[in-house]
Amino acid sequence: MNDKNSDGKAWVSTSGIPLKPFYRDEDIPPQHRERLAAAPGEPPFHRGAYPTGYRTKPWRIFQLSGFGKPEDENARIKFLLEQGETGFIMEHDRNTGDHCYNVDHPEVVARREDVGLTGAVMQSVRDIDICMKDLPIETSYAHAGGAVVQHAPFALAGYWTVAKRRGVALDRLPGTGQSDYFLTYLGCVTKQQVPTDTGLRFNADIMEFCDRHLPRWVPVSIAGYNAADTGLNAFQELGALFANAVEYLEEIQRRGTMPLARAARGCGGVSFRMSMDLFEEASKLRAARLMWQQLLAERYDIRDPKVANLRIHCVTAGSRMTYQQPMNNIVRGTIMALAGALGGVQSLGVSGYDEALSIPSEHAHQMSVRIQQILQEETNVSAVTDPLGGSWYVETLTAELVERAWSFFDEIQAQGGFLASLDSGWLHEKAAENQHREFMAQETGEQVIVGVTAHKDDSSPYEVDGFMGVDDAFDVALERLEDVRRTRHEAGAAAALRQLEQVCRGSDNIMPAMMDALDAEVTLGEIGDVWRDVFGDWATPIQT
Amino acid sequence: MAGPDAMAELVAEAVGGSRSALARLISVAERGGEGSAALEAALLPCRGESYSIGITGAPGAGKSTLASALTTELQTAGERVALLAVDPSSPLTRGAILGDRVRLQPHLGNPEVFIRSMASRGHLGGLAMATCTARRVLEACGWPLVLIETVGVGQAELDVAGATDTVLVVLNPGWGDEMQANKAGLMEIADIFVINKADRQGLEATRRDLEAAIAANAPTRRPAIVETVATEGTGLNALREAIADHRQQTTASGEHQRRRQARAVTELRDLARARLELALEAQLAGAAGKALADAVTRRETDVDSAARRLLATLFTRSDPEQAP
Amino acid sequence: MSGKRILMAKTGLDGHWRGPTIVARALRDAGFEVIMIGMARPEEVVQACVDEDVDLVGLNIGGHIDVAVRAVTALREERPELPVFCGGVVPPHAKRKLEALGVEVYPPGSQLPDIVGAARRLTGLG
Ligand code: B12
Ligand SMILES: Nc1nc2c(ncn2[C@@H]2O[C@H](COP(=O)(O)OP(=O)(O)OP(=O)(O)O)[C@@H](O)[C@H]2O)c(=O)[nH]1
Ligand SMILES: [Mg+2]
Repeated sequence: MNDKNSDGKAWVSTSGIPLKPFYRDEDIPPQHRERLAAAPGEPPFHRGAYPTGYRTKPWRIFQLSGFGKPEDENARIKFLLEQGETGFIMEHDRNTGDHCYNVDHPEVVARREDVGLTGAVMQSVRDIDICMKDLPIETSYAHAGGAVVQHAPFALAGYWTVAKRRGVALDRLPGTGQSDYFLTYLGCVTKQQVPTDTGLRFNADIMEFCDRHLPRWVPVSIAGYNAADTGLNAFQELGALFANAVEYLEEIQRRGTMPLARAARGCGGVSFRMSMDLFEEASKLRAARLMWQQLLAERYDIRDPKVANLRIHCVTAGSRMTYQQPMNNIVRGTIMALAGALGGVQSLGVSGYDEALSIPSEHAHQMSVRIQQILQEETNVSAVTDPLGGSWYVETLTAELVERAWSFFDEIQAQGGFLASLDSGWLHEKAAENQHREFMAQETGEQVIVGVTAHKDDSSPYEVDGFMGVDDAFDVALERLEDVRRTRHEAGAAAALRQLEQVCRGSDNIMPAMMDALDAEVTLGEIGDVWRDVFGDWATPIQT
Repeated sequence: MAGPDAMAELVAEAVGGSRSALARLISVAERGGEGSAALEAALLPCRGESYSIGITGAPGAGKSTLASALTTELQTAGERVALLAVDPSSPLTRGAILGDRVRLQPHLGNPEVFIRSMASRGHLGGLAMATCTARRVLEACGWPLVLIETVGVGQAELDVAGATDTVLVVLNPGWGDEMQANKAGLMEIADIFVINKADRQGLEATRRDLEAAIAANAPTRRPAIVETVATEGTGLNALREAIADHRQQTTASGEHQRRRQARAVTELRDLARARLELALEAQLAGAAGKALADAVTRRETDVDSAARRLLATLFTRSDPEQAP
Repeated sequence: MSGKRILMAKTGLDGHWRGPTIVARALRDAGFEVIMIGMARPEEVVQACVDEDVDLVGLNIGGHIDVAVRAVTALREERPELPVFCGGVVPPHAKRKLEALGVEVYPPGSQLPDIVGAARRLTGLG
């Protein structure tokens, strides 16, 4: 048996694992045989988080959404819910939100047309209130925004404050804010953001706060998706994700302020990317659950099955969605979504077919929902849990991914840990190396992308023009900002801001002060100024 | 290539304050050759004095970040600052990614700050061939302070000492074995040691090691040590003062003048050597060179005699303007 | 040695670095000197182009097209002869807008040899 074609082409998985022409029982490594018999919902959980799978709980249809003014975003979310989305995501504008700037910051003013392009502008609790208008916050799982670490305290405190004002008790709220390092420390590095150690403090503070007040909230959600779409391969995505989790758990352990098992539960809701290598990606989710169970048992002696079952959200790989012949992306979205379903996701987002052109148009968004509905309701994939279990190929691939992922995890530890590997640029270089290899493979024809490197179609290169957005987001945001400043109780806002700054300079949990600040209508940019003043700026290791 | 008149005109424009003329003059210097020679000649009548500060240290030590923070510091003290930032060219492709500017983002668009990235273009020693000419252009155009960031230093890349008035050697806590290996050289050129990334572990130990190394290797010069966190702007005030002290001391002691004299010798030597080499290559490629090489191959003459004859052909012309 | 200098800037307040990085590396490997300035406002792009006396300007567009259009317009005023090429998130309507300004556009999916070829052509290397 060999893994070379007659013309010398190597058959390997996307992450570089050599593939045989077919698999047999004896290919499954001995140390991975014992687990084969476990049922879904049983440790080590590779077969699934729950025994009855999608029969009792279909995966959540969960689409990234948002643009323009808060009311534009609100309308889009309602549209998606009408189409059958079963949770909702509130995207904040990245010029303001991710940078913690108000719209009148010079960096934002210089790019005013860009404001609202990829998320709604929300500078105060009033804006968040508009965006949440009539949304079923008690019954739907929400992504409240705050995917970016330095923005999470604002987005979360804002969402929670609006809920409180509506009379919804915090302990009833389901959702997450993500607060993910991969997004802006590896993936899209912002112009300014707090250093990584400050981010760790924020996230641990959020974990503690949720532990006390929001038991149904996933305080932080590590997004392997962002790492993978920046360039890490399947096993690197796994290794890096768990290296990140270790950083959180050990911070909580150092603090000793809450039981570690509850912290583990708090960071046991993660996301991965589903890309085009169908079996590798499905196996990756099986490997992920197995690794989480191993990590908790072996490193922290946490064995409670309610904590050790990893819950997984997936997003289909945006980077696999092409600019050329965009309708092909509907097929790609379906295949990647299927990989997630076969791997046992709890929640799924499918990229729009216009992914490479713009944020999704209404139609593209609808298609992303429909793809999932077709899979759920027409294909019978929901009938049986872990349909790939016992496949010699998939079991071997799962084992191989686990082994390689742990060695990548060890490499990160050897760099001084996850945060150190971000600070030094080591992880960025790994991603860049993979990307370089991928481009070379496209040049030699080893990797084919239909419509891009082969089967091109020069006569009608585009069939869609992407989403145009709205053009009044900046002006309206500026008016509303002025309005908040004019009409809020100024002394109360100033006092809350002072209090926040004081807490930041000390070591207390920042979230109570954030709740007060949002309630007092302190604005995003004012909070960002506190961050910049107290914590400074991250020393970005990359040069773009 | 622009003739002497056009060159003088461009210089006049640059001296008159045109940034784009200034920038184009630096390009002339980078292209080298006769254009650069014409430029040097056109610069001669220009008055203008600038003080130059070299920033050198291992790759990633924080030179650019420090240059940025120092620029901010000097700016608040009311100074206009020009910066020449040199990054290495790939020896294989001759291409380069010049990334220093990313660290200088706070100064993008500031009319009081001039930044120019330069690729080393195969020149060893940590600077580009044209760096000194570029510095003279800036001097002529009235930029009072010129910072020069070298490529990350290896063994022999110590040219910056000859090219600038105050040399900052940037180290980090836990300065590694590479630095140890290079210690003697760095001790010789450093006017000020900057321990940057002082927010990192190992600061104390590094300071102790450094003090011991100074005591052993440079007991008379006693370069100052300043600790900085360039990313936060910490220690920059102290650095500015250390630079001012060094400037004042060397000016008072006459050391400053001696250095400039030595610099002239170095530049003279470098330029003469470069011209010599060019001429030599041309001669080797020409008929005389071929004939001599043939003679050596046929064993009609020995190599050494042939070499002397080759050299003699270079110096037979009487007109110095025509010399290599 | 080409000695040709290319400025690479990001017009958006947008951190996607994969595109500009892979393009910069390809250009370097083809012998160009690529000056990275990161995220820059239109007027900052212009000043950097002047000070660096570049032969070609590369814009990575991550945000709204009108911000890039303002950068190009400002550049045209200062140095009308300077060629500009770009890539990133450029939907067809934006592509048309930029092309009308004489900017060459390399959208997602563009192959690196084509981009390098364009750089050679635009800097007069043939
Ligand atoms: C991968 C990816 C990411 C990665 C980061 C990757 C990285 N480090 O660069 C992650 C997952 C982290 C990410 C995050 C986000 N992303 Co994103 N991302 C993408 C994606 C899927 C692919 C981009 C990519 O890297 N492609 C590979 C590179 C090599 O291709 P490229 O950049 O297009 O470059 C090629 C050409 O364009 C050209 N080129 C590029 N630059 C230049 C320059 C010059 C001079 C030239 C000549 C050519 C050239 O050459 C390259 C080779 O072909 C695109 C969609 C898509 N399919 O294009 C969305 C996309 C760019 N992202 C988008 C968004 C909205 C975001 C987020 C804001 C979402 C969020 N809120 O979480 C965040 C960013 C947060 C922030 N603060 O900025 C939007 C932007 C929408 C817009 N501008 O209108 C897109 C279009 C997706 C979408 N449809 O919504 N993203
Ligand atoms: N923690 C910390 N990081 C710093 C400090 N100064 C610089 N850095 C970081 O160190 C890295 C390298 O900084 P640069 O300024 O590019 O270093 P350099 O010496 O100019 O690098 P080359 O030009 O490539 O040789 C960047 O990630 C900086 O943000 C500091 O004082 N503290
Ligand atoms: Mg540098």
